[in-house]
Amino acid sequence: MSQNRPDLGTPASYTFPRPERITVGGGTVVAIDVPGQYLASVRLVHPYGGAVEPLDAMGVGALTSEVLEDGPDGNSSLAPALERHGAEWVSRINWDGFITGVDVPVGRLGEAVRLFADAVRRPALVPDDIVRRREQLLERFWLEAATASTLAMRSLGGQLFTGRYATPLAGGPVKLADITPEAVAAYHADTLASVAGTLVVVGDLSGVDLVELGKTVFGDTAPAPARTITEPAPPPGELPRVLVVDRPGSVQSALVIAHRAPSRSQVDLPRAEGIGEVLGGMFTSRLNLELRERLGYTYGAGARFDLRRDSGVFFMSAQVEADTTAHSITSSLEQVAKLREGGVTEEELTAVRDANTVGLPVTYSTARSMAGALVDMVVHDLPDDHVDTVRAGYERLTKKDLDSAAVEYLRPEEAVVIVVGDAERLRSPLAGTGVGPIEVRTPDELWV
Amino acid sequence: MTGIGAAGRLVQYRLENGMRLVTAPASTGQVAAVNLWYGVGSRHEVPGRTGFAHLFEHLMFQGSGNVAKGEHFEEIERLGGDINASTSSDRTNYYETVPAHALDRILWLEADRLATLRDGMTQEVLDNQRDVVKNERRQRYDNQPYGTALERILRLAYPEGHPYHHPTIGSMADLDAADLDYVKSFHKAHYGPDNCVITVVSELDPEDVRARVEKYFGDIPAREVVPQAPDAVLRAPLGGPLRDLVVETVPAAGVFLCYRAPAYGERGFDVAHLLSAVLGQGQGSRLYRSLVVDRPIAADDGGAAADVLPFRYTDSLLLVNMLARENVDGDTLEAEILAEVAKVAQGVTEEELDRARAVLERDHLQSISGPAGLADAISSCTQLFDDPELALTWPARWQDITAEEVRAAAERLLVDENRLVVRFDPEPAAAAEALEAEAQASAAAADAADA
Repeated sequence: MSQNRPDLGTPASYTFPRPERITVGGGTVVAIDVPGQYLASVRLVHPYGGAVEPLDAMGVGALTSEVLEDGPDGNSSLAPALERHGAEWVSRINWDGFITGVDVPVGRLGEAVRLFADAVRRPALVPDDIVRRREQLLERFWLEAATASTLAMRSLGGQLFTGRYATPLAGGPVKLADITPEAVAAYHADTLASVAGTLVVVGDLSGVDLVELGKTVFGDTAPAPARTITEPAPPPGELPRVLVVDRPGSVQSALVIAHRAPSRSQVDLPRAEGIGEVLGGMFTSRLNLELRERLGYTYGAGARFDLRRDSGVFFMSAQVEADTTAHSITSSLEQVAKLREGGVTEEELTAVRDANTVGLPVTYSTARSMAGALVDMVVHDLPDDHVDTVRAGYERLTKKDLDSAAVEYLRPEEAVVIVVGDAERLRSPLAGTGVGPIEVRTPDELWV
Repeated sequence: MTGIGAAGRLVQYRLENGMRLVTAPASTGQVAAVNLWYGVGSRHEVPGRTGFAHLFEHLMFQGSGNVAKGEHFEEIERLGGDINASTSSDRTNYYETVPAHALDRILWLEADRLATLRDGMTQEVLDNQRDVVKNERRQRYDNQPYGTALERILRLAYPEGHPYHHPTIGSMADLDAADLDYVKSFHKAHYGPDNCVITVVSELDPEDVRARVEKYFGDIPAREVVPQAPDAVLRAPLGGPLRDLVVETVPAAGVFLCYRAPAYGERGFDVAHLLSAVLGQGQGSRLYRSLVVDRPIAADDGGAAADVLPFRYTDSLLLVNMLARENVDGDTLEAEILAEVAKVAQGVTEEELDRARAVLERDHLQSISGPAGLADAISSCTQLFDDPELALTWPARWQDITAEEVRAAAERLLVDENRLVVRFDPEPAAAAEALEAEAQASAAAADAADA
């Protein structure tokens, strides 16, 4: 090794491909042609996330998403039909959108989209299928919650919100049990069967007739109505505080330190996400360097914002050796305090700015990631030049911007600390942290 | 172009020091994906030193002669790049995807740790990463329901002393025993350019890429001594059925069946791969249809009940895994899975085989559809088979495999003598509660019927 470290040179300027937009009937097709990308990503976005579900039908969206896999013929018929075309079915709900789709070789696009459209618009909705899916979803809730980090994340909503966000997206283990086949059918009729939505298509589109695809998917459905946004209320309780979810015998604790944040449209994205990256969004972020690389307490620590249309959450997370739980919490809070008091370094500013500008070709190097960006734009009503606008925001970012963001967006005094671990072993060390009052619950007591 | 678009456009070089380079075109602009496969994995570990190849992978990010601790990660993150590494029984890979203008910097960073890692290694770094890896083990194995399944499977599938007898994570005691001298000797023994394949996926001209790789890696000497590969020959059949019954805090009974299958790269492996897809990949698979939809006694896994674990230098493994529904005990689930598995030997239809091929092809296409995945597949096929084009043509291997071959493989492989079972059952208290709930449910059902 005789060479010196080579210069980076000048990065090429990056522009996110401008999507083609076509109005077809009541819907819109938004497409990006990527020559040579023979696996296409197709996504249909409906504006019906968990946040707008009625409180007496929490989980109906998640259950409907599952039931669509039973297909127009019922009895789990859809996935096998798509599998024969080499297509992969996608269906998921998040707080702000209901997203269905397929990933499929472009040569089979037409056939796969016909199957897909039938599945979304005309599912059989056989009551026996729905009951089976509901019971499976309920059981899966507990199977997944047996993983400490999953249980910690699912405990979060009830600590920060009242109303819909207090219950997990899939309705939780109690509310979901009340969803009837009739409720699923009604929900489907109102939201998916009759509403066009927006169709996202990314891949090698040479020879693909986007208007025909749109007609197949939209048919005679109506345009999606505008959504109303209501800021959810917080639950009562002293802040900051600690919730221990008892998991006897745990050799590690799953930690989440979280507080409320503004909604997506209310935050200045480069400032908020930038400070999140400095604290915990990168391998070289402060939390990871402290908890993993200096103290050796964890395999990895992180932090990020979860920004929704009508609210937001900021959280730090790690899984740490049981005996280091209390010190991991105080160390994490110390890192936040240092950042708020001392601001970011020039190196951190440069890292955040560069990562989110020159790094964009990496971020969007697959059809799936481009489709993901388009879905995000549709869900949040963002313009086609959104990626470039945010990039310009990062290019302008200053140290002052990030320093003020630390004070504005990181609010440890409003945090709830969730610890999933062995309560008996942790109670005394956690009391010693002085973070706030400690409550211990079993997982069964979280969602009643 | 990625995927099938890259066919016929791969270029392979060999440097004088033995390093192999493959270049391939990318389908999206302005990126360079760099992927290095070193021919060293946990199979090279000796008893008392398990987990070392993986611990070593961590140490490769902790500084070298001209790079400070943490600096490698920092450089890539500043570029908005993706970076990571992984260790398996057969190999260790390192990879990063960066904006194309940073390619030289990446090559230099990789070359520096290949040439000078031993100069940058300290006891402090070793102690820290040992703690990190022990926490990784807690997170993935010890604090995770069913987390020790693979470790238990390998213990039964390969005899004591065999290089595939243990998992890459290793044991806590062995991790504690790692010392700095051994770190340095491990690097000297296994990390030479002659043991490395580097793949670069980018828009750059192949000759340009070759010149850059030559510039940074060309002067690094090949290893003077190449360690003898461990003896991975299996001298006896599995001798099944073998079983390991674990009673611990799990949310439901879990059944893990495992069968020895031919080595990765052999036609028999491809047949076993199709067999696994017929059995348990996708919602059209037999296990999903039978045990999740029709009965239903197994938890919904989305159609991921079976797969193959590819090992290049010894028998691979065909795995079947399902978790029980509420009020279904482990014995019942195990018996029903075994019954379904046994049926494959009675015949496989052409339609089932077509579906299985389509599912595997889709997964393969998905894996090579981005620059990072394409680079990884190419490095793999070059390191293990000396044939980079295989990364693109792999699905063709499934085309002429017949339904009768798959059926015959089932008849040969899926037998008691070739089977091991790792079973997780919930602790008695939880099981008793479940039985009580079942009794109450039965009583309620009886009441309802009476009414």
